[in-house]
Amino acid sequence: MAITESIQNVKLSTRFLNVTYVNNKTGAEVTALENINFDIKDGEFICIVGPSGCGKTTFLNTVVGLLKPSKGEILLDQKKIDGPGNDRAMVFQNPSLLPWKTVLDNVLYGVELQKLLSEDKKQEAKEFIEMVGLKGYENHYPHELSGGMQQRVNLARALTVNPSLLLLDEPFSALDAQTREFMQGELLRIWSETKKTSLFITHQIDEAVFLADRVFVFGARPGRVVDVINVTIPRPRDLHVKRSPEFINLVDHIWSIIEKESSKQGFVNK
Amino acid sequence: MTQGNIQFAQSESKIKKKKLKKQNKSLVISFVSVLMFLLLWEIASQNEWVNPLFVSSPIKIAQAAVVMIQEVSFWENMKVSGYEFVVGFALAIVIGIPIGVFSGWNTNFNAVVNPFISGLYVTPKVALLPVIVIVFGIGPVSKIVIVFLMAFFPIVMSAQKAMLTLDQNLIKAARTFNANEYQIFKTIALPSTVPFLLNGIRLGIGQGLIAVVVGELFASTAGIGYQLTSNGQNLQTDRMFVGILVITITGLILTLLLGVIEKRFSSWKPDIGS
Ligand SMILES: Nc1ncnc2c1ncn2[C@@H]1O[C@H](COP(=O)(O)OP(=O)(O)O)[C@@H](O)[C@H]1O
Ligand SMILES: [Mg+2]
Repeated sequence: MAITESIQNVKLSTRFLNVTYVNNKTGAEVTALENINFDIKDGEFICIVGPSGCGKTTFLNTVVGLLKPSKGEILLDQKKIDGPGNDRAMVFQNPSLLPWKTVLDNVLYGVELQKLLSEDKKQEAKEFIEMVGLKGYENHYPHELSGGMQQRVNLARALTVNPSLLLLDEPFSALDAQTREFMQGELLRIWSETKKTSLFITHQIDEAVFLADRVFVFGARPGRVVDVINVTIPRPRDLHVKRSPEFINLVDHIWSIIEKESSKQGFVNK
Repeated sequence: MTQGNIQFAQSESKIKKKKLKKQNKSLVISFVSVLMFLLLWEIASQNEWVNPLFVSSPIKIAQAAVVMIQEVSFWENMKVSGYEFVVGFALAIVIGIPIGVFSGWNTNFNAVVNPFISGLYVTPKVALLPVIVIVFGIGPVSKIVIVFLMAFFPIVMSAQKAMLTLDQNLIKAARTFNANEYQIFKTIALPSTVPFLLNGIRLGIGQGLIAVVVGELFASTAGIGYQLTSNGQNLQTDRMFVGILVITITGLILTLLLGVIEKRFSSWKPDIGS
């Protein structure tokens, strides 16, 4: 199913994107993603939800350039994605910080790898550290930080390379419920300050509805887009939104889509 | 959030204080334990519960030590053993670390060197002493070679092991930032090896000290091991114990030094109590 948008302002578009894994030993192919077609507008916040194993991570890894499409293509600013690039940055589920680098050096690590380290960047990094609420922790080591704080460093590192597309793979799933809710609010605040086009993966539907302009529901076997839901809840949103009937209805609606999809697949999710 | 962190920091310093108290207490206990042992040794020797000729006594050893440190030959022997150890050990580090790191990084290089490393690792290196002496003579060179051989393996293996346990998540994160192989090697692989290497070096120190002494006992013209042999032939147990003590103290100092280096290098690591 193709979702057509007006061509103007398109940031990212996937065209009949297919990704297959080939088993090294048996040579057997697994289709992880099949014919993914959609356009994302500049500045949009997109959430992808779906049962585990439906190819969400695979999709993000392909966008960031770690995986190559087996068919089709992904266009970022009308240019075909072919490998990692400075225009994208990823926030992982586990913070993946270098334990021997301080917070500041970790935040600068992406820029360092891109060979773009400079005094200006250092200044920017400090500003992002402040933005994610870690001012005063510049010289701490990751092990001295809580999980939530480490994820903030992870986010600041991604923002410091100034990507035009921000990719987040279940960044809050390892956090406890309270920290998670708090971080959702923080992320929205940071997003509204930076206006980065964002692709956010989660398996929590309420998280997706809270954050997104649009929610893409993925189905499994093979991974594909089952439905796209517009979230019309006005911004800025705060945590009270989660108790509004509009919010609850949207969550229920997405639940029913996933449930229907799962029963079709012959397995029950959760 | 910030408040929570302050509390977190406070409770952390409290835990550290508690730990310090505990450490002091164990230190006292250890000191008393050693003192008791020396006392018992002295009493056993003076009352001839055991033959003093065999076990000497702490006081006699101390007296012998005072005499020996005024002898030129003692310092000559120290110098020779020290030279053999330092050169052999330095070679083990300079050659061992790069080989270990590269074989852990590059599978082809690993295929080249691994048969030799695995084979020699299980060979008791002292069994090679007769050959080493034939090839390198009974001078310091043969000792340097045996020190190198014995210290080399713990160091190589620790470097290899470090490379095998690299955090793949870090590498993946680096790749998303367009990192090339060299950058991943430099910024992730090499720093990851440090704690493992220090451990390998610690084991290497022990092995290297054994090598010096065994090498000199086997065939030599000077050194602490040589002194041990000649004192042994004259049944001078007190002087022999001084020699052993010198080796022990050297080992302790080196390990202590390594501990200091370790602390400096791994301030980023959570201290998991020692
Ligand atoms: N490296 C891999 N090799 C083979 N199959 C894989 C690999 N990674 C993921 N898969 C398969 O691809 C599918 C999608 O995985 P993934 O993208 O991780 O899903 P999600 O992130 O939605 O949980 C799953 O069926 C998974 O088993
Ligand atoms: Mg996943």
